Amino acid sequence: MGSVQPKIKSKVRCVDGEVGEVAHVIADPLSLDVSHIVVRANGTERQVPVSAIGAVRDDAVQLTCNVAQFSGFPELEREDYVSSKEVEIPHLEDRIRVEPGEVLVPLPVLEKNCARRSFFAGFIKVIGALIGLPLVWPVLRFIMKPMYVPYDNHWIKIGNISKIKTDDVGVQYIFKKSFKDSVLEREEDKNHWLVKASPETLKKIYRHGDITFYDEKGAVVWVNNQTVPYVAFSGKCPHLGCGYKWRSHKTRGQVFLCPCHLSIYDATGMVLDGPAPRSLDVLPIKVAASGDIEIIDVEYKAGKKEQVRIA
Amino acid sequence: MNAIFQKVYDFVDERIGLKTLEAKLMNEPIKGGSRWAYVFGSCLLFIFIMQAITGMLLMFYYIPSADHAYASTQFIIHEVDYGWFILSYHFWGSSAMVVMVFAHMSQVFLWGAYKKPREMIWLVGLVLFVIVMAFGFTGYLLPWDQRAYWATTVGVEIMDKTPIVPGQMTLSRFFVIHVMILPAALMGLAGLHLFFFRSAGPAGPFRGTTEELKAKTDFFFPRQVWKDIVAMAAVFMIICTLAFIEPVQLLEQATPDPGEYHPEPEWYFLFLFQMLRWKIFSGEFGQFLGAIAIPGLFLLLLAALPFIDRSPERNIFKRPIALLSWTVVMIGIVVLTVSAILNREFLD
Repeated sequence: MGSVQPKIKSKVRCVDGEVGEVAHVIADPLSLDVSHIVVRANGTERQVPVSAIGAVRDDAVQLTCNVAQFSGFPELEREDYVSSKEVEIPHLEDRIRVEPGEVLVPLPVLEKNCARRSFFAGFIKVIGALIGLPLVWPVLRFIMKPMYVPYDNHWIKIGNISKIKTDDVGVQYIFKKSFKDSVLEREEDKNHWLVKASPETLKKIYRHGDITFYDEKGAVVWVNNQTVPYVAFSGKCPHLGCGYKWRSHKTRGQVFLCPCHLSIYDATGMVLDGPAPRSLDVLPIKVAASGDIEIIDVEYKAGKKEQVRIA
Repeated sequence: MNAIFQKVYDFVDERIGLKTLEAKLMNEPIKGGSRWAYVFGSCLLFIFIMQAITGMLLMFYYIPSADHAYASTQFIIHEVDYGWFILSYHFWGSSAMVVMVFAHMSQVFLWGAYKKPREMIWLVGLVLFVIVMAFGFTGYLLPWDQRAYWATTVGVEIMDKTPIVPGQMTLSRFFVIHVMILPAALMGLAGLHLFFFRSAGPAGPFRGTTEELKAKTDFFFPRQVWKDIVAMAAVFMIICTLAFIEPVQLLEQATPDPGEYHPEPEWYFLFLFQMLRWKIFSGEFGQFLGAIAIPGLFLLLLAALPFIDRSPERNIFKRPIALLSWTVVMIGIVVLTVSAILNREFLD
C-alpha cells in the first residue's frame, strides 16, 4: 500500500455512511510509507490502519469496514507520536505529500521514558563541564601573560638640563628606550616633558608631600622630593594616552595641551580644562652634578582618577 | 533568571523557529539504536574544535618569522603560564585527529556506509582526510626547529618541483595555509559533510531485520549524544595525559646542517617515509612513483570505491575483498611504520 496518499481533511466513509475526516497521516519511519490515517469523528481521533482503506478518491477515503467496526479502532495516543516538524527523517515528506507538520511518526519505544531522558541530559551537561571547566584557569593565565610582566625599574638617561632655559616651561626630551618585548629586542622613541619649576610651581607639585613610586609588590622604588627643582611628566596624556605638547593657548597662555580630546594642563601638571581625570603623571627623576637627567619610565593606566601602574 | 532565559528563548524562537531547529537537530532516529561505533565523527569534530581553540591561543604568542618562530615557540613553552600545556595539547591533538580519522574511515568502510545513497558524504570525507594530513604537514614547520626544518625540506622537495629552500616565504606560506586556508576549508567541508549526512540519514547496522532495527531505534539525543560526549571526555583525558607525560620539547633551532639529528617526519607520515627508502622507489621515476603516484592512486581508488563497489551488501563478513583489502592496507601501514622505527638503530 506504498502509494496510498490520503489528503488531510478528506471525508472518511465507511460502507454504511460517513464517519468523519482525515486529521493526520501516520508514516512508518523506516519504509516511509503511510501506515495509518487518523480519523476525527465526533470529537475522538481514531487510528485506522491502511489495510482498512478500500480506496482513496479526490476528496474522500473509502474504508472497507462499517461504522460499528470503525468505533472499534483505537484512539490516537498523541504523546506516542512526533510530527514531522519535530523529527529529522530524510525524504519523509518527499514520499508522503500532505501538508507539512501533519505527518505523524511513532516515537521510538526507547524515547518514551521521560525520566531517563532528563537523566541523560543532566549527565551530558556534567561531562561537558568536566571537559570545559579544567581549561578555564590555564587558558586565562595563558592569555594574561602581558599582565604579569614585571615592571621596568631601570634608570634611563634622557638628556641634560642645559637644554632648559626658562622656569615653568615644558621642554620635550625624546630618547631611545631598548626593551625586551616578548622575544623581540626592541628600541622605541619615547618622549617625556621636563619642567624646571619655580619655587611656587614646585610647592604646588609637592602639595601632598614627597612623591613615592612602588614596584608590583608594593615595595618603594624611589621617592621624589623638593630638593630637585626639575620635574619629569610622563609624555602620555592621563586622559586616554595620546601625546600632548607644550602649546600656546589663546586665553590661557602657555599650557600642556593634548590634541586628541583637548585636555589642558598647567606647568604644575594640574588639569585646567578638558576631560582628563587626573593631573599629569610625575616620573622618578635623578639629576647628576653634570646635569644629566635620568628617569624611570613608569607608566600608569590612562582614564583613571587614581594612578594605576602598568609598566 | 529562568523567566528571563525563557523570554529570550521565546523571542529568538518566534523569529527563527529555534524549537523546530532544536527538535530537528536532536530527534534524528538512529536505525538500530545508538552505538559506541558511531562516536568517531563526533570525536573528530570535538578534536578539531579543541585544535582551533588551542591553535588560536598559540597565535597570541607565536611569531611567524624565520628569526623569531623558534624563540617565540620557546617563549610559549618556558615563559607563558601553561604555554607548555597548550602547545603540547595542540601537538598531541593533531596525532589524535589522525588516529580518529583512520578509525572513522575504517568504521565507514567496514560498515559499508559509503554505498548508495551516501557516496557524496564519502567523497567530501576523503577531501577532509587530505585536509587533516595537510594540517599535520604544515603545522610541523611552524616551530622552526631541526625536526620542522628537515621534515618540511623533504616534503617540499617531493611535492614542489620549483627550486626553493625553506625560508621566510615558505614559513609564511605554511603559516597562512595552516591557520587560515585549511581551517576555512575544513569548516566549510565539515559543514557540507554533516549536511550530506543529515540529508541521507545514518546508515545503521549492516544486519538485522526491519522489526529488530525498529525496536532498537532511538533518537540522536539523548543516548547517542551521551555516548559521544563520554567518548569526547575520554579523548580529552588521553590528550591531556599525553601532554603531561610527553610535553613538546623543541630540538635545536633549524639550520641547514642536521648535525647529530636524524631527520624524520611525524609518526603518521613514517610509512610513506619508509617506503621511499625502498630500492624500487629510487631514481626520479621511482621517487615520483612512491611519493606521488601510489598515494595519489590510492586516494583515487578510495574516491572511486562507491562507484566500483555497487553491490548493496553492507555486511563486512559477506564482503571478503573489502575485508581483505582493509586488513592488507592496515598491516602495510603498521609494518612500514614499525620498520621505520626499527631502522633508527642503523643510524647511530
